[in-house]
Amino acid sequence: MIAACPLEALPPGASFRLDGENPIALFRTEDGQIFAIDDTCTHQDASLSDGWLDGCEVECPLHSSRFDLRTGEVDAPPAKRAVRTHRVVVDGGTVFVEPSGCDG
Amino acid sequence: MTTGTPATTGTPAATGTPATTGTSATTGDLPPSLVATLPGDWYVDPAVFALEQRLIFESMWFCVTRSADLPAPGSFRTAVVGRESVLIGRGRDGTVRAFFNVCRHRGARLCTEESGTVGRAFRCTYHAWTYDLDGRLIAAPNLTKMPDVDRIGYGLVRVHVREWLGYVWVCLADDPPPFEDDVLGEVVTRLGDARAIDRYGVADLELGRRIRYDVAANWKLIVENFMECYHCATIHPELVEVLPEFAAGYAAQYYVGHGAEFGERIEGFTVDGSPGLDRIPTLSPEQDRRYFAITVKPQVFVNLVPDHVILHRMFPLAPDRTIVECDWLYLPDVVASGRDLDRSVELFHRVNQQDFDACERCQPSMSSRVYARGGVLVPSEHHIGGFHDWVRAKLAGTGSPGAGSPGAGPQDAGSPDAGPQGAGVSRDTPGDG
Repeated sequence: MIAACPLEALPPGASFRLDGENPIALFRTEDGQIFAIDDTCTHQDASLSDGWLDGCEVECPLHSSRFDLRTGEVDAPPAKRAVRTHRVVVDGGTVFVEPSGCDG
Repeated sequence: MTTGTPATTGTPAATGTPATTGTSATTGDLPPSLVATLPGDWYVDPAVFALEQRLIFESMWFCVTRSADLPAPGSFRTAVVGRESVLIGRGRDGTVRAFFNVCRHRGARLCTEESGTVGRAFRCTYHAWTYDLDGRLIAAPNLTKMPDVDRIGYGLVRVHVREWLGYVWVCLADDPPPFEDDVLGEVVTRLGDARAIDRYGVADLELGRRIRYDVAANWKLIVENFMECYHCATIHPELVEVLPEFAAGYAAQYYVGHGAEFGERIEGFTVDGSPGLDRIPTLSPEQDRRYFAITVKPQVFVNLVPDHVILHRMFPLAPDRTIVECDWLYLPDVVASGRDLDRSVELFHRVNQQDFDACERCQPSMSSRVYARGGVLVPSEHHIGGFHDWVRAKLAGTGSPGAGSPGAGPQDAGSPDAGPQGAGVSRDTPGDG
């Protein structure tokens, strides 16, 4: 588990980028749910945490590929491959992420 | 036009202008009734136009679009201002912003359409550098691996914006001239009182009709035409029917705060004098049954009549090409009701066509050898000399004498009536339209 950010750094509608070898994007939806997915779009190197949150989906800022935050699946091209999802735990006002294994 | 440096008034072109029979008169020979115009090549020389782009259109406030043309966040419009393409958009907070329409990466034109709507961002179609509606660089391929790229520093370059009369005015200068002097000052000059235009509530009117004219003429010919009414009785029969005093050739322009009065049997500002639409209720009695006109240099004409406002925006594209967008604005109820605007619009649409035809008839002759030293202004046109002084003063403000600097001789800059602003502004007097 990695301590990603304080909960208050992630108000509804916001995103947070957890840097690292495989950067992770955290999103808090308008209804308060927090999700973590790979930050890098599978189509081209773009940061999904810079994208636009729309319900439980994020739209890549570069080419508008859309990923489902719950499953990582692609909902709109040009991306074809899903991003990985990661488990999120909130404890004591801190958001923790458990990165998935390499095989997703 | 052999030197690239057009002769100024009183300075016959040094070369390439043989004094053939019938064209030997120099401006020094003019009888008192006549005043010289600008030399012909000021209307055709690309070097002159380049200076005008830089020192006039890119330096002054320039009216680009109606605020209501940008109805929602993400609405945008592009416009040519001088040599630049400008991108005007409405942000998520409802604020209108303007930017140079140039991607900061490799310079691709960001928005190629004239108008449209983007969802959330302006995205370059070349490498996908992506800017939010505030102009901030929000995404680019591999941007996260370039943390030293400042997203504001490499955001879109902002252009100054003001909104007035329900229109968006931009200024490409780093330090814009005071809007109050350059723009509002023109209203005071013409109407005598800045509040006079407030009574028309122009910003609250709605667009009833918009017509775009692609005019094969230099922008200055269009300004000059708007300033005088010597031509009215000849080319504007419908207008003179409505405003009989225009037949005299001396229109409202010799007075401050004078509007041309409707003819006795005229019921409205329409093509046949029939009743117009609903009168703007906040007008003063002195504004009823009258036509007022304002030239806001360099590219806006405002025409005020009791039931509508006609606003022209010019977009000079080349020495011999000017796009004119003309809006007819009415009370919101009038537009919402779907009432027939045809007879109302038709009057000034005809005036526009008649004027632009005349300008297009002049343009080819601007490069004629018999017009090398220009033409002449009769007394009812003498005030156009103030516009010419103003243009000269603007172009002389280069501070870089020499090549391609028309009228930049010291005799112009130092001429007592060619002050950088004063003379030109005070003598600029719009006329008939």
